Amino acid sequence: MHMKEICKSIKKKDHDPKIEGRSVYVSDYVASKDGRAILCGKLLHSTLAKARVLSVKLPELPEGYLYVDASDIPGDNNVNIVLDDTPVFCRDTVEYIGEPIGMVVGPDEKAVEKLLSQIEVEYEELEPVLDIRTADEYFFNYEFGHGDVEKAFAEADKVYEEEFITGYQDQTYLEPQGMMAEPEADGRMYVHGSLQCAYYVHGAVARVMGTDPDGVHILQDVTGGGFGGKEDFPSIIGCQVAVAAKKANAPVRCVFGRREDLEFTPKRHPSLCRYKLAVKDGQVTAVDADVRFNAGAYSTLSAVVLQRGIIAAPGVYDIPNIHVTGKAVKTNTNPCGAYRGFGAPQTFFAMETMMSHIAQDLGVDSIEFKEKHFAVKGDTTSTNGRYHFPVPIPAMLDEVDAMCDLRKKHQEYRKPQTGRCRRGIGFSAIFHGAGFTGSGERDLIKATAKLRKYADGTVEVLASNGDIGQGVRTTFPKIVAHELNIPLDRVYYDHPDTARVPDSGPTVASRSLMIVGELLRRAAIKLRGIWQEGVEQEVEEHYREPDFMIPFYLDRFEGDAYPTYAWATSAIEVEVDTYTGLVEILGAYGSFDVGTPVDYNIVLGQMEGGFLQGIGYASIEKMDYDGKGRIRNNSFTDYLVPTAMDVPNLKATLHVEEYPDGPYGAKGAGELPLVAPPAAYIEAVEMALGGMQKHRLNRIPFSTEDVILELNKEGL
Amino acid sequence: MNGICFVLNGKETCYAGSATDRLLDVLRDDYDMKSVKCGCKEGECGACAVLIDGVLVNSCCVAMGAVDGHEILTVEGYRDTSRFAKLSEKFAELSAVQCGFCIPGMILAAEAILSANPHPTEDEVREGLSGNICRCTGYNAIVNAVLNAAKEGDGLW
Amino acid sequence: MVNGYKPATLQEALEIRAREKVVPYAGGTDVMVRRPEGIPFLFLGDIEELKQIKDDGEYIRIGAAVTFTEGLKSELVPALMKEAVSRIAAPAIRNAGTFGGNLGNGSDKADSVLAGFALDGLVRLVSSKGERVIPFDEFSVRRGVTDLRDNELIAEVLLPKDKCALPYYYQKIGGRNALAISRVAFGGVYDIRDGVIRSITAAVIGGGNTCRRCRDIEASLVGKTVAEVKANAEEYVNAYAEGLTFSRGRVSAEYRRTVVMNLIRDYLASLE
Repeated sequence: MHMKEICKSIKKKDHDPKIEGRSVYVSDYVASKDGRAILCGKLLHSTLAKARVLSVKLPELPEGYLYVDASDIPGDNNVNIVLDDTPVFCRDTVEYIGEPIGMVVGPDEKAVEKLLSQIEVEYEELEPVLDIRTADEYFFNYEFGHGDVEKAFAEADKVYEEEFITGYQDQTYLEPQGMMAEPEADGRMYVHGSLQCAYYVHGAVARVMGTDPDGVHILQDVTGGGFGGKEDFPSIIGCQVAVAAKKANAPVRCVFGRREDLEFTPKRHPSLCRYKLAVKDGQVTAVDADVRFNAGAYSTLSAVVLQRGIIAAPGVYDIPNIHVTGKAVKTNTNPCGAYRGFGAPQTFFAMETMMSHIAQDLGVDSIEFKEKHFAVKGDTTSTNGRYHFPVPIPAMLDEVDAMCDLRKKHQEYRKPQTGRCRRGIGFSAIFHGAGFTGSGERDLIKATAKLRKYADGTVEVLASNGDIGQGVRTTFPKIVAHELNIPLDRVYYDHPDTARVPDSGPTVASRSLMIVGELLRRAAIKLRGIWQEGVEQEVEEHYREPDFMIPFYLDRFEGDAYPTYAWATSAIEVEVDTYTGLVEILGAYGSFDVGTPVDYNIVLGQMEGGFLQGIGYASIEKMDYDGKGRIRNNSFTDYLVPTAMDVPNLKATLHVEEYPDGPYGAKGAGELPLVAPPAAYIEAVEMALGGMQKHRLNRIPFSTEDVILELNKEGL
Repeated sequence: MNGICFVLNGKETCYAGSATDRLLDVLRDDYDMKSVKCGCKEGECGACAVLIDGVLVNSCCVAMGAVDGHEILTVEGYRDTSRFAKLSEKFAELSAVQCGFCIPGMILAAEAILSANPHPTEDEVREGLSGNICRCTGYNAIVNAVLNAAKEGDGLW
Repeated sequence: MVNGYKPATLQEALEIRAREKVVPYAGGTDVMVRRPEGIPFLFLGDIEELKQIKDDGEYIRIGAAVTFTEGLKSELVPALMKEAVSRIAAPAIRNAGTFGGNLGNGSDKADSVLAGFALDGLVRLVSSKGERVIPFDEFSVRRGVTDLRDNELIAEVLLPKDKCALPYYYQKIGGRNALAISRVAFGGVYDIRDGVIRSITAAVIGGGNTCRRCRDIEASLVGKTVAEVKANAEEYVNAYAEGLTFSRGRVSAEYRRTVVMNLIRDYLASLE
């Protein structure tokens, strides 16, 4: 790959403070900005999945300790997350185990915990809804398609039907959730913490505090990972600590413990997908997908997660007849939210596995079968949009093949294997729609980014996208310095404070570099043109939808859902120990097209990190709830993520198809790599177990235990 | 004897609080050693790892009474050394620091690996880091940075 | 020291233990997670007498406060114990966790305890009134319960040298390659001369509410030829399936049962 100048890796701007242990995460503050002591806030969580709260009996509160609940909210008891059903503190009922009822606040953490444990809540227990298969209340119910699936089914040689199940996945950022609120002398409420979307928090807190927008400002502190888990939830804690800080007239910080975080913060939506495909003359002619996502108790981000998931439902294939229905099902469980991939991992797992199973039934190699259907540039997308740019999947298939002898092993391991240890290799091809779904960028976000050049010639980037490890504190200045042709140390990007920066949109949807990076590039070019020595200057750029985009209508799911797509292929090779169920991953290989890498190491690091998360999702990351709606895997002993010893042979390579509307050809990158592994992993394990005829695998995670239970079926 | 006495980052000090207090909490709250992070409080993530007498331990699993008479090193006491400088240089070259939360623990784990074994294999590095969870990087960049530091270490370890 | 005692000698420690309720603290990796409140800690980790590894001619003696990392470095500790201990958690835990602690916390998944069971190990318990030496399986009663009496401390683990010298079999199955609690583990040593089994042990994690051996089945193997045992392997495997109890924990009873039986089968097949 020929490296442009911009791609060359540089030392990250926040490398030194982080590695020296100087970076201040929200739990590291020793005092508020104005030197006051910080009170500790801890939440009282509901212990029932559905109940009326009859009374909350508090112990005697010593001097300096207080209890905060919905009655203390100055404005609305609504945390604005798309819709307005999420309360700050519960209303008359609690709708899931963990729903915040109130908060105990005080100077000593241990004392706060003790008081919390002494609170007596009287509930009237009601019947919770827990099964997404039977639950019939939907937050969202979508349907779209094109062509004539019924006709295709009628004319098919064979119709295939299968059900796919995926479980929770927890983001497991190393830094748990935490937010802090500080009442300021001028009457403003200052809220800061571990978050991704400063302006989301801003809107929510202003509403809840009943102030106008200037009455609140939000800062993103150094954030120890997010992956989507800090897209909406910080708005809730932010509102809670703001209300508490107002009542206490003192700074209040609430930091979650790990168990609390594992049990009570938003996770990836578990899903149940039913796919029906028609095959005629060895070709898929129709796909009918019925997608159910478990939204949990409140709607939060489920609309958008579901939209992305169902748009991706037919996969990377050009299939003439499509019908997709999607439902976000309400259950009395933890509201699910954003996690890297945002709905697409679920449906891509289903479609890729479905294609593999059909091929196995037809007696053909699944890679060759998939190859017959890959979309190409110019084809119609699932929503009657267009693939405006090259679809490099065939070349990327060759790349992973070269990395690991995929095609050869794919044939070889399908032959019958005996013996204790058996091998398999699986393949997947996926995309990730780059940027916000539909016309959200144009109609909702309306991103603005600024550059402020100071009299001394330094340039500050003013935007609201937060660095959560993905490096925007480096890549944004890098782009600007490159265009202005000044040293990188003259350009900087500080932690966004809504009091100082414009709303360039949230740090989600793999949009930061592609959309905001491009705004900054144009702003830099503008600034270069008007640059005056010794004078303070400011330039501003606003988002403009690319001309080539076919307008998207959400009510019909029609048009270009995304301006472009990032693409990936992956191959995973395993060895299964049939005595113990242990699955050793011999190699995990991925080729990723995210356009031009605006810093090679940063982008490679994103691919490797996301790829491993996707492998965990398919294999060891098991989390579910019991018959009472309680998540039992609430510690790192019980929720397992990969360690450095689990996938030692993980290789990612970049395939570059430049996107003309992204900075230097870059396009959305962050989420893509997580979407690829699950179907490849399952196909590999299935192959090692003898193939679909012997063991049909269609759910994740598929663990060591699942291998043994599956093998045991052979005896029956 | 005035309470629990130990050496922290080269300085002698005594702690007058409870012997059952968690070392993690005391380091962060009483001694302002904020590089020591709390990821889980159960010894399962390594974010709180420190070196006690040169040995890597999770400070969330250490009670203060146990450190009496011992020497503790956190990143605050390590970051002025040439070993740290070499590790930092190699981590920077591979952009191995993403969100940063696991990094202080990783650095001390790297020091523990290299001081026991100046020329580890990749497997040995992975085993040495196996108690430090990273969610951002997928580990490759961190492992390679440690291997590079060892290669160029030249008498540092 | 507030809320804690740091005795310099074992004798001092025992006097304190006899006098009042304390929490014995060796490495801290279990105590600090369980976090008992309101009881002083008795810090044993620096007591020299508890940190010795000795060969007394009959036994390899490992002090209760010897950490797993220290055990791994010693030439005296037998290979089976080393293999089991090397797979515990991760380096930072092995650097602090101790042989005494692994026994004392009453866990049914303790890896060094499994090796001790398989090696016919003994536990030396001491108090201000005297001492007693009992086999591992008498000490580990069931999950969370040991035979440690209120005034006692674990002083040493004793591993018979004749067993330590024997060939062994070991397998650990956790949920991932590191930082993994054993879901099933299996270890055994065997003495085969001229094709005849002179002695054999097989210890299991996952086959009961504590680490288990089926001494009656082991006894039935003694005196048989390897060929005989291999020819009748399924009988023995089934005997184990009857003799052990498989219950649901982090994994299902069916998983434990299947894997334990597979490992026993493999163990017997590997004998020579």
